[in-house]
Amino acid sequence: MSPPPDGPRAAIVVALVGNPNTGKSTLFSALAGIPTRIGNYPGVTVEEKIGRFTHRGQTIELIDLPGTYSLVPKSPDEQVAVDVLRGRLPGVPTPDCVVVVADATNLERNLYLATQALDLGMPTVIALTLSDVAAEKGITIDATELSRRLGCPVVRVVAPKRTGIEALADAVLAVMKSPALPPQGLGPHLAAVEARHEPAAREAIARYAWIEELLTGVVQRQPPARRPLGERIDDLLTHRVWGTLVFAATMLTMFSSIFWLATPLMDGISAGMDAVSGWVEGLLPEGAIRSLVVDGVLAGVGGVVVFVPQIAMLFLFVAILEGCGYLSRAAFLMDRLLCGVGLGGKSFIPLLSSFACAIPGIMAARTIENPRDRLLTILVAPLMSCSARLPVYLLLCGAFVPNVAVGVSWLRLPAVVLAGMYAVGVVTAALVALVLSRTIFRGPPQPFVMELPGWRWPRLEVVLERVREAVWSFLQNAGTLIVAVSIVIWALASYPHSEPAIDAEVATHRTMLTTRLADLPPDDPDRADVAEELASLDTDDGLAAARRGAAQRQSVLGRMGRLVEPLVRPLGWDWRLGCAAIASFPAREVVLGTLAVIYNLGDIDPGDEEGGTALVRRLRAATWDGTNRKVFTLPVALSIMVFFALCAQCASTLVVIGRETSSWLWPVVTFTYMTVLAWLAAFATYQIGTWLGG
Amino acid sequence: MSLEQVAIGSVARVANVSGSDSTSLRLLEMGLTPGVNVRVVGTAPLGGPLELELRGYRLSIRRHEAARVAIAK
Repeated sequence: MSPPPDGPRAAIVVALVGNPNTGKSTLFSALAGIPTRIGNYPGVTVEEKIGRFTHRGQTIELIDLPGTYSLVPKSPDEQVAVDVLRGRLPGVPTPDCVVVVADATNLERNLYLATQALDLGMPTVIALTLSDVAAEKGITIDATELSRRLGCPVVRVVAPKRTGIEALADAVLAVMKSPALPPQGLGPHLAAVEARHEPAAREAIARYAWIEELLTGVVQRQPPARRPLGERIDDLLTHRVWGTLVFAATMLTMFSSIFWLATPLMDGISAGMDAVSGWVEGLLPEGAIRSLVVDGVLAGVGGVVVFVPQIAMLFLFVAILEGCGYLSRAAFLMDRLLCGVGLGGKSFIPLLSSFACAIPGIMAARTIENPRDRLLTILVAPLMSCSARLPVYLLLCGAFVPNVAVGVSWLRLPAVVLAGMYAVGVVTAALVALVLSRTIFRGPPQPFVMELPGWRWPRLEVVLERVREAVWSFLQNAGTLIVAVSIVIWALASYPHSEPAIDAEVATHRTMLTTRLADLPPDDPDRADVAEELASLDTDDGLAAARRGAAQRQSVLGRMGRLVEPLVRPLGWDWRLGCAAIASFPAREVVLGTLAVIYNLGDIDPGDEEGGTALVRRLRAATWDGTNRKVFTLPVALSIMVFFALCAQCASTLVVIGRETSSWLWPVVTFTYMTVLAWLAAFATYQIGTWLGG
Repeated sequence: MSLEQVAIGSVARVANVSGSDSTSLRLLEMGLTPGVNVRVVGTAPLGGPLELELRGYRLSIRRHEAARVAIAK
C-alpha cells in the first residue's frame, strides 16, 4: 500500500459517532478491542474512550464519542461530541474521518445525526448496524442505493459476529484517499420549510424531509408474519399493571443480589486482608512502622478492595438491564414518582443501589445523561441507609429500644424503629432533592425525551467491559485517594502517644471505678458490671484494652472528641460518644469497633454474638464522668441512630463524589449539608425524646 | 388538540411543536416534525410519561412535553 499523498502518517484518527443504543460499544470492541485510554474529557464528566488498531499496515486511532442524537449541542455529551469533531478539545486528537453508526431498525431517525455529520464535510463512512434485527422485523435496506444518494460508503456490519468489520476498515482507508464532496441535499428542503416555523425548528423539519426523500425506495417494510418476540415482550414490560409488577420483581432481585450475594465475597476479602495483616504483623517488629503498615496502609487498601464486589455486582446488573433495553423502561415507569421531588426516572437505580452502598450507586448515576439530575442524584444518594449503617441500627435497636408490641403482637417496636431509620433517610433525601431543585438547581424544566430501545439480548462482552471499566476506574481513581486518606486518619488516631499519660489515665479510671463501686447500693444491677470492669484491669488483656482505649482517647482524634463535647452534649452524648462519632467520619462501619476500644474493651468483634453482648453490657453500664447518670437512654440511642442515618461518615463516598463530578466543591457541599442535617435531626430527636419521656 | 389528549392506542398526525427552546428542538430532532404519524402506545403509572411509536421506533416523553405537540384534526 502506498502512503497517502500528504506523506506517511503515524495514525489516522477516526471518530465513532452514533445515537445511543445503536451497538456503538460493540462496534468499538470489534474494531479496536480493549480501549487503550479511558477517562473523562477535560473539565467535564463525559467519558472519553480511545482505542488503537492496525488495518492493512495503517495504524488507526479510534475515538468513541458519547452517544448523541444531534450535533446541535444541548447537553455536555453532545457538546463534547461536537468539540471533538471540530478538533476544539485540547489533548484530544482532531479526527481525520468520521464513522457514523446507524441502526438499521430505525434508519430514519439515525440518519438525522448521520446527515449532520456529512454536512461537516469530513470524510465519512456509515456503518449500518443491526441489519439482522431489521430483517426479522421485515425491514430491507438497499445499502448500495443509499450510499449512492448520500455520496459516502455505507457498510453493513454485524459487530457481535464480526461481519463487515474488515469492509468497514477498508472503507475508512478508501474515503481517506479520495474524500467525497458533502451532499447538498438539505438546502432545497430548507428553502421549502414554511416561514411560520421558528428558525431553530426549520433545520430539523428540513432534515427529516430530506431523509424521507433519501429513504424513498431505499427502505422496504414488509410486516412480518407474526409480531417479533421483542415487541410482544415490550407490550408486557410497559403494561401499566404487569409492567409495574415485573419491574418490582426485577428491582427486588437486583437489590437483594447486591445486598446478599456481595456479602460473602466482601467477608472473603476482609478475611483475606486480615490474613495478610496477620502475616505482616509476624514479619515486622512491633512499633510505629508495623502500625503504619497494618493499621494505615493495609487497612486502607482493604477498605478500598472491599467495595469491589458490590460495584462489580451492580454494574453487572446495570449493564444487563441497559443491554436488553430495560434500563430505559425502568426510568419510564419510575419517572412520575421521582419527578415529584425534582429528580427523574433514571435516578431510581442509582438511589436504590445506594441502600446497599452509596459508592456503586453514585457511580451508576453515570447512566443519567442530564447533568442536573445526575448531580442531584449524586448529592442525595448517600442519605439512603447503606449496609454499613445496619449494624449500628441493629445493635442500638436491640439494646435500647424496649421490645414491646406496636398495635399487633408480631410488630415489635425495635423493628418499627429500624424501619423508621430507613424512612428518615428516604424522606430527608426527598426533601433535600425538592429544596435543591427549587433553589440552587433551579432552571428551565429539563426535558424527558427518551428513546425506549427495542428489546434485545445483552452482549456478554459489552456487559463484562462495563463491569471491568467500573471496577478499574474505582480502583485507579478513587482507590489511591482512599488509601491516602486512611493513612492520614491512622496518624491522627495514633499520635501523640505518651506512655506516662496513658498510665495516668488508666490510674484515674481505676480510681473512678473503685469510687463508683463503693457508692453503688448493694442491690444495684450495675454493681456486677462495674466490679467486672474493675477486676479486668488486673488481668493482662483487660489492662492492655484499657491502655488502648486511653491511647485512642489521647490521640489527636480523641482530643477532637473532647473538643467537640459542647457540640455533642445537646444531642445527649458524652465526650466518648463524640470521640466515636469523630473516629467514624472516615468510615462509619468502624463505629462499633471504636466504641469497644473507647469503652476499654479492646479489639473485640462487635459483629459476633459474644462481642456484641459484651459491648451492649458495657454501653448499658456507661455513666457520665463522675456521676451515676446513665449515658445510654432511649432518646440517646435514637439520637445516635438518626445521626448515623443522615451523616456523611464515609470518606470513600466523598472521594467518589469528587471523582464523578470532577470537582472538590460537591464532596464539600455533601459533607457539610449532611453533617448539619444529621446534627439538627439528632438534636431534635434527643430533645423531643427527653421531653416526651420526662 | 395536543398529543397529551390523544387516546391510548390511536394514531395522530403532528401539526406543530410550539416553543423555540432546547426542549422543542429535541422533540423535533427525535422526529416529531409536522406531518409525521404518531401512535400513543401507553402511559406509565400515576400519570407518568407517554410511550409513543413514530418513524419505526418508540419514544417516551412527559405529559407537559406532549402538551406542546399540536396534532392535526
